[in-house]
Amino acid sequence: MPPLPAAAVPALPEPQHEQLSNGASVVHIDLPQAPVVCLDFWCRAGSARETAAESGIAHFLEHMVFKGSERLAAGEFDYRVEALGGNSNAATGFDDVHYHVLMPPEASNDALELLLDLVLQPRLDAEDFDLERQVVLEELAQSEDQPEEVAFQELLRQACGSHAYGQPILGQRSALEAHRPEAMAQFHRRHYRPERCCLAIAGPTAALGGDLRQRLEHSRLGQLSPGAEAEPPPPPLALRPGEARLELPRLEAARLLMAWQLPGAADQRSVLGGDLLTTLLAEGRRSRLVERLRENLRLVESIDLDLNVLESGCLVLLEAVCETEQLPAVQREVRRVLLELQEQPPAEAELERARRLVGNGYRFSLEVAGSVAAMVGNSALWQRRHNLQAPLDWLQQWDGAALQRELVPLLAPERAFCLQAVPA
Amino acid sequence: MSAPLALAARVEQGHWPLDCPLWLLHRPGAPILSAKLWMRGGSGSDAPGERGAAQLLAGVLSRGCGPYSADALADLVEGCGAGLRCEAAEDATLISLKCASDDAATLLPLLLQMVRSPWLVEDQIALERQLNLQTLQRQREDPFQVAHDALREQLYGSGPYGHDPLGVESELRQLGRDALQRQVEQLGAQGAVLVLAGAIPDGVEQRLLAGLEGTTWAPRPPERRAGPPGLKAGGLATSPDETEQLVLMLGTTTTPLGAEQALALRLLHCHLGIGMSSRLFVALREEHGLAYDVGVHHPARLGDAPFVMHLSSSAERAVEATRELLNEWQRLLEQPISPEELELARAKFRGQEALGRQTSSQLADRQALVLGHGLPMAFADRSLEAAAQLTPEDLHRAARTLLTQPCLSLCGPATALRAAETQWQRHPLSASAA
Repeated sequence: MPPLPAAAVPALPEPQHEQLSNGASVVHIDLPQAPVVCLDFWCRAGSARETAAESGIAHFLEHMVFKGSERLAAGEFDYRVEALGGNSNAATGFDDVHYHVLMPPEASNDALELLLDLVLQPRLDAEDFDLERQVVLEELAQSEDQPEEVAFQELLRQACGSHAYGQPILGQRSALEAHRPEAMAQFHRRHYRPERCCLAIAGPTAALGGDLRQRLEHSRLGQLSPGAEAEPPPPPLALRPGEARLELPRLEAARLLMAWQLPGAADQRSVLGGDLLTTLLAEGRRSRLVERLRENLRLVESIDLDLNVLESGCLVLLEAVCETEQLPAVQREVRRVLLELQEQPPAEAELERARRLVGNGYRFSLEVAGSVAAMVGNSALWQRRHNLQAPLDWLQQWDGAALQRELVPLLAPERAFCLQAVPA
Repeated sequence: MSAPLALAARVEQGHWPLDCPLWLLHRPGAPILSAKLWMRGGSGSDAPGERGAAQLLAGVLSRGCGPYSADALADLVEGCGAGLRCEAAEDATLISLKCASDDAATLLPLLLQMVRSPWLVEDQIALERQLNLQTLQRQREDPFQVAHDALREQLYGSGPYGHDPLGVESELRQLGRDALQRQVEQLGAQGAVLVLAGAIPDGVEQRLLAGLEGTTWAPRPPERRAGPPGLKAGGLATSPDETEQLVLMLGTTTTPLGAEQALALRLLHCHLGIGMSSRLFVALREEHGLAYDVGVHHPARLGDAPFVMHLSSSAERAVEATRELLNEWQRLLEQPISPEELELARAKFRGQEALGRQTSSQLADRQALVLGHGLPMAFADRSLEAAAQLTPEDLHRAARTLLTQPCLSLCGPATALRAAETQWQRHPLSASAA
């Protein structure tokens, strides 16, 4: 069938990298068609930077940031951003934290000043601190009421042991109850340093004007003093293979959960290979695991395999939802599918299907200023300066033999931690 | 504030011989195409005794159609790295395609093949039915889902909006090929619209029509027609569960998208539940630290849409959480919001509209919904203009007309339920239900 005439594929926009005098990174990328500008502030201050006593403080701090700065009253930031038609949010991960604002282009300059002020000069008022602690404890309780989340937390705890990836980002309840504003201020001073921060801007950047660099030098970010102590590298992860079984109240269907370790995010070529492999295995009805376990044998309601891109080592997490009595069969078939892949490399057609799914998923995500800002911001934060085209090129470089040689062995059944969660 | 937002670089109506309006929203840039075929008659049209049929059919449509078996269809779609989904919501069955524009010629015929020549293979129906039954069961793990299910029953009884689109277990179990075949005949007969957005190649009409393959399809254009009604019963529902938190949902049934006071109610929704400066977020979370998640659920519907305030709070704070939530509702009935609050709500309404147009899919989705409701293409922009004219008194009038006799649905441990119930019984909102 002849293809319809289509317009030539435009080149992907190029991220522009800059470094302020104090070492802070800035990356901006012009998306002239986008209806909003996304400002995304990143800092290498995720839960992996916490000491044991600081459990949950990185995430708690993210909440407290929105309680105002020296110049902004509690709630004032939200009010001003939203009154201009924008919105904001934040997320704390194991490795990093980011705060993002989506704004109509004409209001993006105002938001830039406000965001930097908010994040870099948090007030950490004692009364607000106690109130917000309640909110964080409610967030924890809400997640504890989802038995699936409890099961995943247990999987990570047993698989990653004392590594930060085995600890809850929300923190331990007892530690949360003991936190004090002074300790949080100290955590902020220690980690929110220019050389550990990156500001990403994506959208119609013309609205920001030509003197952006100059203004940023004079902003809160440009005026931030570098840290005195050297930043330790991400602590190495050594996932522990094993098996466990867990009975959970309120669980309605059993879960088979498995975790494997792949190379860390610094190895972006491997990350793309991991995307390709998990897609080949579990994305779509014709993927190997879905086809075998759900479509043909009908052992599961669903089976998913997610690649979590992390600095100390990526985690591949499998979740199969099934009846309790099917668990042994499910585990056996997952194992069989993985062993088959070890024995024979994937066929080219199968690989091409996965390449197109990953490639299109990536291209679709570039439609949204927020996800572009997050991608280039996270990359720049960790000193990866590839452009938006690079992942698509890496994707093409992987072939069946390379996947089988380099990545498939890492997903061997015996390298996984495997948790069976069953209704109590 | 009322300058129109850009919809697309060029909007045109496609030319084809079907009574299903075809709209092309051309957007330059990424070579991506999104298509949404909206057909009136979702789970709200499930026949008595066949609740779950619309969703079951939706799932089965992509399990074989035209020349393609289930496997061949999955090979084709996944081989292009595309997404093809069909889902039934309360008001409509929606087929969504998202693909690279280069693959449009190959994939566009599938839309009408799914509608006109689905295979409805017994074995694939059995699989889809089993998956839906399992999902229904697993949803009970979520206390929000439990509270929501109970609230839905309070608000709509056994009416068309009274069940989860996935269905009712005992009825879903009985559904077979005959029920689905009857449904297929009806697809589009109550109104249908197709919206394409993104980088749209020339000649898409012919590619779409290629999917008919000698069959005919006689859809009708969408019309303005009243959708399912809600009850105004008031009352309390409690679902005991051994959770840490108490989930609270307070809601009532209101009015369809595009109806007289719907816009005023939408602004109240923005005021109460959109963003961190919203009334519920500030009052319940920032001032009382009662909850992490608070918000308003008010989807666009053809019939009497639900309007629900919700939060979840530690079981031991049940009394305070219940009182504060009920007071927030009562406040809407007793006093108008301030002009400043209305201004903020308008900014959010406009902001939401702009943010909802970022991707081709979002754009196609929103326009298909609006057109499917029998509303004009410019409805969103007209609503932005009309919002500028509304006053705090207009919103107050809408609240007093539409937000009467709310129902409270709770899920949580028995002690928390008892404590919350006491608060409810003391409150004027429950007395008005008597």
